[in-house]
Amino acid sequence: MATANTDRAGQMPHAQMAQADIDNRLRQIIDRALSRGALGVPALALDLDLGVGQTPKELVHARDTARLYRYLPKLDEIYRVPVLLVMSPVAKGYILDLAPGQSFVEYLLECGYDVYLLDWVAPRREHAGLGLADYVCDMTAGAVEQLRSDCGEADVSMIGYCMGGLLACLHACLKPNSGVKNLVCFTTPVNSEGMTLHKRWADSKAFDIDLLVKEFGNIPSEIVNASMQALRPFQRAAASLQLLNNVVDDDFVKATLRFDRWGADQLPIPGELMRDMTRDILRENLLARGELRLRSRRVDLKRIRVPFLHVAAEFDHIVPAAASRDLIDMVGSKDKQEIVIKGGHVSLVAGASARKRLWPQLDRWLAQRSL
Amino acid sequence: MDDENSLNALHMWREWLVKSEKGWSDALTEIIGDRALSKDMGRWAQEGLHTHRMLSESLGQMLANVNLPSRQDVLDVGERLGRVEEALAAVQVELHGLRAHLGVGPAATAALAQPRPRRTRRPPKQN
Repeated sequence: MATANTDRAGQMPHAQMAQADIDNRLRQIIDRALSRGALGVPALALDLDLGVGQTPKELVHARDTARLYRYLPKLDEIYRVPVLLVMSPVAKGYILDLAPGQSFVEYLLECGYDVYLLDWVAPRREHAGLGLADYVCDMTAGAVEQLRSDCGEADVSMIGYCMGGLLACLHACLKPNSGVKNLVCFTTPVNSEGMTLHKRWADSKAFDIDLLVKEFGNIPSEIVNASMQALRPFQRAAASLQLLNNVVDDDFVKATLRFDRWGADQLPIPGELMRDMTRDILRENLLARGELRLRSRRVDLKRIRVPFLHVAAEFDHIVPAAASRDLIDMVGSKDKQEIVIKGGHVSLVAGASARKRLWPQLDRWLAQRSL
Repeated sequence: MDDENSLNALHMWREWLVKSEKGWSDALTEIIGDRALSKDMGRWAQEGLHTHRMLSESLGQMLANVNLPSRQDVLDVGERLGRVEEALAAVQVELHGLRAHLGVGPAATAALAQPRPRRTRRPPKQN
């Protein structure tokens, strides 16, 4: 057979050479695919144990769905004023401590801050009646009080992320004598006119929030997740494709899997909180109009007089700039500043570039106000 | 590897999809954010809720007949776990309070049994 396929001079005919080329090329592709698979397996196995939230911490206070943790300081000498990170009640706090080297908490500890975290757990049936007022006036205020008692300092700097920023603002506004010395908000929504899609849904007469709350009690995390996904419907698919293109890069795979896990790991929302947010914040836009009332007290952000820093992300699709940019004008502080960085909603607190660009800026701002 | 990837049609296709994702997403979000469609979605959501209730009730009965747990049963287990976690959290808080009262850190880490760090840190001087 071999002789039949060669010409008289014993050389391979042109067609056969082309076939050999194709075979070689195919072999290379298969080898590469196999090697990619083999390289990807250890990283994908990490999906079971991605090691998120590893920085050692102690539980200091628990009330309803609120959990106050204190991270163990890394330095012998720390700033006088402790830092309280306030997480959004719809997401898990480990995004702030994603992995060693990619952790906002770890960065603050290494800079010499005494770091506390107000995190949230999934609400149970008995928590369905907890509304915005309970989250602000009871749970956030209770955590601040416990923190002051735990560290023995009267002052505290609050750093709120997303809806956690809203809780921190409302607390600082309603309890100006609670020791809040500095206030930092990361991508905090205050004007629902800027949240076009969610506002249109909430405005729709056909959307019955009362029926939703009555049916579920606490709004399942799947619904929360779906409403977030609707803002960038193809983002997860694109992330999966990008993962395939970078499957040989273990660090990229691990980071993507951690983000992916957090993105799918939303918390259910207490029914009453969902009703308050939909009706008062989204539909009526009461906060931006200065007409929001919590426990009969009007919320006027002009009452916030402490040093204030707002951090927004240019490509944030969850809290677009239009929804948060008014905050800086709404607060009454004389010492106030806004930083807008290139990045998305999550990359502010967990992105690789945030450690190099944003966090040092935050440290410089906070350090001189933490004495 | 980059040279190989630049010739890999699948890689190029995926790269193009990733880069054009925002455009696709914005277009779809614009469609689902349309006022008329938002209204329809609200109505579908309500219908979905009624369907959800009917299915939960009927499936729950069927599953009980074949001795299998329903979603509600699983949620009930979650509720009980939540209560156990809350009780554990209360114990942890008590322990933290006791340790603070005695002036020691967590027993698991010997180094932490040292006094709390001094609160005298000052920012590094800017050049």
